[in-house]
Amino acid sequence: MSAPGLKHTWLTPWLWALSLWAVAALPAQAESWRGNNDEPLLVSVNTAYIDVHSGPGRGYPVFYVLEKAETVRLLKSRAGWIKVETRRGVTGWIPRKAMRDTLGLDGQVPQFHDDYRSDAVVGRLEMGVAMGDFGGADSLGLSLGYRFTRHLTAEIDYAHNNGQFSNSEQVSGSILHQPFPEWRVSPFVGIGAGQIKIHPHATLVATEDREDNVWMARAGVYVYLSRRFFLRAEYVNHYLLTTRDNNDEVHQWRMGFNVFF
Amino acid sequence: MANGFQRLFLIVCASLCAVVAVAQEEPLEPIVGSDIERRSIKEEKLDRENFEIGVWAGILSIEDFGSSSVTGINLAYHVSEDFFLRASYAVSEANHTSYELLSGAVELLSDEERDYTYYDLSLGYKIFPGQVFIGRNLAFNTHFYLLVGGGNTEFAGNRYSTWSLGAGYKFYASDWFALELGLRDHIFTHELFGQSKRVNNLEAQLGLSIFF
Repeated sequence: MSAPGLKHTWLTPWLWALSLWAVAALPAQAESWRGNNDEPLLVSVNTAYIDVHSGPGRGYPVFYVLEKAETVRLLKSRAGWIKVETRRGVTGWIPRKAMRDTLGLDGQVPQFHDDYRSDAVVGRLEMGVAMGDFGGADSLGLSLGYRFTRHLTAEIDYAHNNGQFSNSEQVSGSILHQPFPEWRVSPFVGIGAGQIKIHPHATLVATEDREDNVWMARAGVYVYLSRRFFLRAEYVNHYLLTTRDNNDEVHQWRMGFNVFF
Repeated sequence: MANGFQRLFLIVCASLCAVVAVAQEEPLEPIVGSDIERRSIKEEKLDRENFEIGVWAGILSIEDFGSSSVTGINLAYHVSEDFFLRASYAVSEANHTSYELLSGAVELLSDEERDYTYYDLSLGYKIFPGQVFIGRNLAFNTHFYLLVGGGNTEFAGNRYSTWSLGAGYKFYASDWFALELGLRDHIFTHELFGQSKRVNNLEAQLGLSIFF
């Protein structure tokens, strides 16, 4: 009775296996991943100096200073910071915006864009989470989108809605249209279809799970917060095709964050 | 015999000529063009490490149902140096309530209903970045973080919308490998005892994670 959780969870062996794999196998793998040995990315400092921090954040201490004309190798980036290595083997982090003060071997400033739009530089896939209100129920959803033109996105959504009288799960597919993808606050409209599975709470009488088809009309805005990251707020009108005499209409409001790949 | 030497001599001469001819052609090539192509540097060529996957184990106190061990996994995306998004999934199992233990025979929940799983999606904020020193020459990056998010808890044959609050301390053994100590509060409302009751399920967790 002391630790029933560990004994009975199917996840436990997997977690241990994953952590063992992480400890044992990853250092070697990580080195080869970040290798990029075929083409080192070298830049030279084109300003008086650049501070090198011990970690990827402005709060980490500055422990080294790159001098003008010093050449460094770019190793990797994380959350707006770039890890560099000097010729003497010192490694540390400089802010991404410091790349403006460097020159590549070709004498040009490295191309680090700051566009808010997705399509210029980043991938076509987007993943997001959203929370909101689904006709009085709490709604939490996950979405995966594929942008096949600048304006059109195909999206798959999966949502859990928890209400006072019932819970439901919904799977749906939609097409979204963004007329002005270059705007930082960019509106969109969309239509979709899916299926919703409703489980009334067991405390109610005559409970029976229902499965209905649903049509959706959507409208909302993308708000680009950074290159890969945006906020999305939207209204979704759900039309449930029930097996009863009347169809149901459900209004949903939700807001969430999406990330581009 | 003489014929044989002649033939050999001619073959050697011919092949030497050929070698010389090939050797003479060579130096002409590298005069134009260089072997280092000075291509421009694009951000896409740089390896990105914004994702983090982690596992943890800990103790979850399920209000009225005792404390149990809990194990989970999480996936985080680091949006900026300050903010990150984190999705978590964990499993645990509820014990018996005091009432069940004292009364002896009463079972409020079946074994299956005692399974407790939750997932949540949180927004995290990193605070107090810095370094800790171990000895004179060894320094490691660390920071604290705050989390707020929402998700669902599956418990007692039902699903509950759950708010989660959290805080933690992160220790980076290297750039891509971190250890962390976390505290969470999972808040939801249930009616298992007839009346609506808001519960705070507190969790302490110890985890490790990898950036990729």
